[in-house]
Amino acid sequence: MSAQGMAGPIAAPSARPAWLESFVGQFLALLASFGIALLLGSFLILAYGENPIEVYRSIFDASLGSVDGLGYVLAIATPLIFSALAVSVCFKGGLFNIGVEGQYLVAMVTAAVAELNLDFLPGFLLVPAVLIAAMLGGMIWAAIPGVLKVKRGAHEVVTTIMLNLIALSLIGWALNGPLHYNDAPAGAFVDLRSNVFPKNGLVGDLGSVFGVTPGAHLSWLLFLAIAAAIVVWFLIRRTRLGYEARAVGSSPGSAKAGGVSIGSTQIRLFLISGALAGLIGMHQILADRGYLPLNYVVGLGFTGIAVAFLGQNNPIGIIFAAILWGVLSRGEVALQISSEVPREFIIILQGLLILTVVITYQIAKRRLAARQLQRAGMAESLDDSAAPDDSAGPRGPEYTGAEAFEPADEKRT
Amino acid sequence: MPFTDIAVAIQISFIYFTVFYLTGLGGLFSERSGIVNIGLEGLMIIGTVTGAFGVRFFTDTMGLGTVWGPILGLLFGALCGAIFAGVHAVATITFKVDHIVSGVVINLVAIGLARFLSSAFFDGQSTQSDPGGPHLARLNIPGLSSLPGGLDRAFEGLSPLVIVAALMVIPVWYSLYRTRWGLRLRSCGENPEATRSLGVSVPLYRYQGVLLSGAFAGLSGAFLAAEIIGAWREGQTLGLGFVALAALIISNWNPVRLMFFAWLFGFAFAIPLRLQDAPVISLLPEQFIRMIPYVVTIVAIAGFVGRVRPPAAAGRAYEGGGGG
Repeated sequence: MSAQGMAGPIAAPSARPAWLESFVGQFLALLASFGIALLLGSFLILAYGENPIEVYRSIFDASLGSVDGLGYVLAIATPLIFSALAVSVCFKGGLFNIGVEGQYLVAMVTAAVAELNLDFLPGFLLVPAVLIAAMLGGMIWAAIPGVLKVKRGAHEVVTTIMLNLIALSLIGWALNGPLHYNDAPAGAFVDLRSNVFPKNGLVGDLGSVFGVTPGAHLSWLLFLAIAAAIVVWFLIRRTRLGYEARAVGSSPGSAKAGGVSIGSTQIRLFLISGALAGLIGMHQILADRGYLPLNYVVGLGFTGIAVAFLGQNNPIGIIFAAILWGVLSRGEVALQISSEVPREFIIILQGLLILTVVITYQIAKRRLAARQLQRAGMAESLDDSAAPDDSAGPRGPEYTGAEAFEPADEKRT
Repeated sequence: MPFTDIAVAIQISFIYFTVFYLTGLGGLFSERSGIVNIGLEGLMIIGTVTGAFGVRFFTDTMGLGTVWGPILGLLFGALCGAIFAGVHAVATITFKVDHIVSGVVINLVAIGLARFLSSAFFDGQSTQSDPGGPHLARLNIPGLSSLPGGLDRAFEGLSPLVIVAALMVIPVWYSLYRTRWGLRLRSCGENPEATRSLGVSVPLYRYQGVLLSGAFAGLSGAFLAAEIIGAWREGQTLGLGFVALAALIISNWNPVRLMFFAWLFGFAFAIPLRLQDAPVISLLPEQFIRMIPYVVTIVAIAGFVGRVRPPAAAGRAYEGGGGG
């Protein structure tokens, strides 16, 4: 096909700006995967002899159907936003920080130490001091895999998983030793935990402002999470570090040739990720419990990975993905009350959702890349049938030629 | 520090060796074919829940006795691991999703799927099954199990699968290095384009590699749950799949060296269980002793990784068609 021949059909798509096209593409991919996951879930519900529409409606009613429900959903979403942001910051630079889990556990310990030792401070100083202590704790734990990766080439997936397990023992040691409670009433049986934090060191309840039940433990940390998402967006899109991170993430070779220090970028990303991870546990110790318990909620770091994928590593997308996750998690309650479908169905639905999102997003990305290649006029050297066609289904055969031009080994670091 | 403690620690190290070696062999097949598999942990999780169910089902429900029941149960765990690995295969080979992304998803989904399967298998119990499931008769290794001074304990009362795992090195080594199939599988991981030019279907071999990894990791999980613990417990794999991955990396993707490192890590895991009273170690708080195996893993991976070479094409998508 000649260049003149290509000009006609190409004119229409190139009229759209690239960011809009990529936004629409991502949105459609998300919508499609959501539809597929719900559809597959429906088959499962039918297998339990229930009506899928009824079940989905009961999930909706329990989560978004009332002010209290919404309060619960946002309270669940708050730590997940921090967690997914922490994962996504590293991901932008091609790093897999599976250690968010351990980083927030360590941060809960450092935050508890700050709470119990700085209790002479007034509240408006104590709470920020505690949050900073938490971020420092997360940064220390994130620095270890960062340095091992850069200096020794140790893959961060293995080192961070090991550090997660070490963090579990560390928190157990802290609660048995330095942080062991000594304010329990004599003779009373109390679960292993730290001393109760000073009242002015806690984060205020937000629910009372909006008429949400205090049981939801909705806190001001929600706004901190949204602010963090905006900061991360700014950092990735509008700063030099963000530019370098994206360069390292998409093509380390070109980044290096362009004068970017890969090691220093990766360590800085790990530190930022660790600081965000440090804030994950603050909701449960500062807003929910008021002390560091041994039966703290685990797994928020791993759920953050799922939420980051669901939000397609976009800070604003992550806010919505965390809320969606909260809706589904809250839906477990509805299933228990009103349905034969076991509550584990929600976990399966969440799993299906991540799987379909990852796959459809990959398909959309390739389609987009293929289209951009065609626009750049490279299509003529490819398959003759590679005419741009908006109506083609995902992975239409006409794009297989263009796929070969994607940089193949960019993910090896 | 009596000898019996060391002997029992060695016995425990054989159990962990089996877990690490079987899972590591799984990773070996997958990564040698060019597909990075960090979903080994998730595949093991599926193996634990299906294996624990399988031995009970075939032994008690089907009434096949305590030889064939556990054997079929363990194989059922391996089969389910392979089926679940199919998700990783489809995502990475057919849809060309990034291998690490897909592996992370596999690990996440496995946790939920295990709970779901568990509540279906074990009467609504979503995080554990009843203890005391059937297992294979224990073996003593002839000769070694009559050593003096308490050392005999190390070689007594072992699950037959420990010995099967150790002997597995022979068929695995032979199939990878002495058969046409093995040569093709390895060349898919080194240079898929050249492999295709010889008329070999790269996706076909990669599918085989990934499914085999699921079977081995599933068997490993089934061994842990059914043979060792006697029940399914949520979280019983606790990072062991990643330790196996670390052992695979520092053994330079070699099945013979993997034996040594799988045992070495196995011994590190036996320390907090049996050697907590040994000199020096006993000075540490209990929780720090429990960190030892994970610290050993980090130190090993940081110390060795520069000196190993992964399969050249592992981790990148193969863009060509099916070929011959």
